[in-house]
Amino acid sequence: MLESDESQPNQEALDRYHVIDGDCHYMESFHDVAEYMEEPWKTKFEESNFDEKGAKQNLSSFFPFSTGDRQAHGKITREHSSYPDEPETPERIREGMESIGVDETLLISHLILAGAGTTADDDRQSAFAKAYVEYMQEEVLDPDDGIHGLAPIPYGDVDASLEILDRIEGEEEYVGACFVTAGATPPLGNRKYDPLYERCEELGLPAVFHTGGAGLDEYVRAGYQEMLETHTLGFLESNMSQIVSLVVQGVPEKFPDLDIVFMESGITYIPGLITRLDEEYLKRPEEAPLLEKKPGEYIKDFYYGTQPLEISADPEYLEKCFDMVGADSLMYASDYPHWDYDRPTTVTDLPFLSEDEKKQILSGNAQEVFDL
Amino acid sequence: MSTTELIEVKPESEFEEGDRELVDVNGIEVGVLRVNGEFHAVQNRCLHDCGPVAEGQVSRKLVGEFVEPGKRVEKDYDDNEPIISCPWHGWSYDLETGEQLADDDIVLPTFDVVVEDGVVYVDGQQ
Repeated sequence: MLESDESQPNQEALDRYHVIDGDCHYMESFHDVAEYMEEPWKTKFEESNFDEKGAKQNLSSFFPFSTGDRQAHGKITREHSSYPDEPETPERIREGMESIGVDETLLISHLILAGAGTTADDDRQSAFAKAYVEYMQEEVLDPDDGIHGLAPIPYGDVDASLEILDRIEGEEEYVGACFVTAGATPPLGNRKYDPLYERCEELGLPAVFHTGGAGLDEYVRAGYQEMLETHTLGFLESNMSQIVSLVVQGVPEKFPDLDIVFMESGITYIPGLITRLDEEYLKRPEEAPLLEKKPGEYIKDFYYGTQPLEISADPEYLEKCFDMVGADSLMYASDYPHWDYDRPTTVTDLPFLSEDEKKQILSGNAQEVFDL
Repeated sequence: MSTTELIEVKPESEFEEGDRELVDVNGIEVGVLRVNGEFHAVQNRCLHDCGPVAEGQVSRKLVGEFVEPGKRVEKDYDDNEPIISCPWHGWSYDLETGEQLADDDIVLPTFDVVVEDGVVYVDGQQ
């Protein structure tokens, strides 16, 4: 039997004290707060898809926020998806695929994109990823119907990541491993991640590097004001930093049979990165002694998702970018249902691609890389 | 068809380890160096931006070896591969072959060095 501890004040004793809570959270209604805001904030808040409890449950209830309003101030709706208000369902995925004209799809976790920047502890990403792998395999993925999965890799915890790779070995639902490029510290070329690439190579699973919004507010520095700034720069930086790290640290030389794919930063950044890195490498090759050729050649060996394709660019410039990266390195990607998704028409409408190149980009390369 | 065209540099006995001499070879300035006892001759005009590469640092090529996943890449200098680097921007070439270390499609012209009767010559035929 517990004895009363006279040193512990009881509830009544607290009445004798004046208490100020330095950290408590009031779940305010954004609708209510918006009434007291000046423009343009009032309208921005009202149209930003927050609900009466504050943040909606789709993204920020488990992982922290990142910059901005994905619905672009209320402008974006998705008739064939539950995004962003409600959980998605397998049926709606097929509906969405059909609506944009997709026959097979590779599903990547939405929530993990935000979780990758989480540094509060080293458990939640792994816990989420493991549960996601089970849930998706059990309830959603259906390779016979063209719905394939990529397993999220919580690379900050190498042991947990290896457990996930062990778990999906031989499972036909999973055709690759997904590494979110945002938030990776040290960057993903570091030798600590070698066992993951070694295992992926052994399993024949491509490593898919996907940029994301984690930590986007302060992706390198704090103080940006708009998502237009952070989304433009942050997504790009997250991919570029990992490409450079992988190449300079020699990952393609260490694991020559590993297919490497980068997603979601368009394609025009690739030629710029190739030329800049090559220019530096010509002056400092001793810093990348594993390389057998110029860094840009490794970068061209990687695969790239096309979305968000810069179709508003000068066609001559865009064509040159396609030439430099190579149609054999590009894969159509939609990013559906996110705000800046691309339909396959972004590829089919390009005037400078041959029919064979369009087929390569729209399915051929993915069939080969993911063994579909 | 190649013919030998010898351009005198200086007596071998005066050519000490680490010395370098510049000579004119058919209008091309060529640097002649003695490194580890061996003579080398390279064009003194960097293929990057025309810097005086033959006057730059001579060192050894750094090589790396991937030992096993998760371990540091083992890095060391190769005593058998002397390199020369342009002092302007650091472009480095294999002193023997003239190959740019980062891109072996870029080759700095090199010349044969011969010693006859105690005198060091550059062969003007590349």
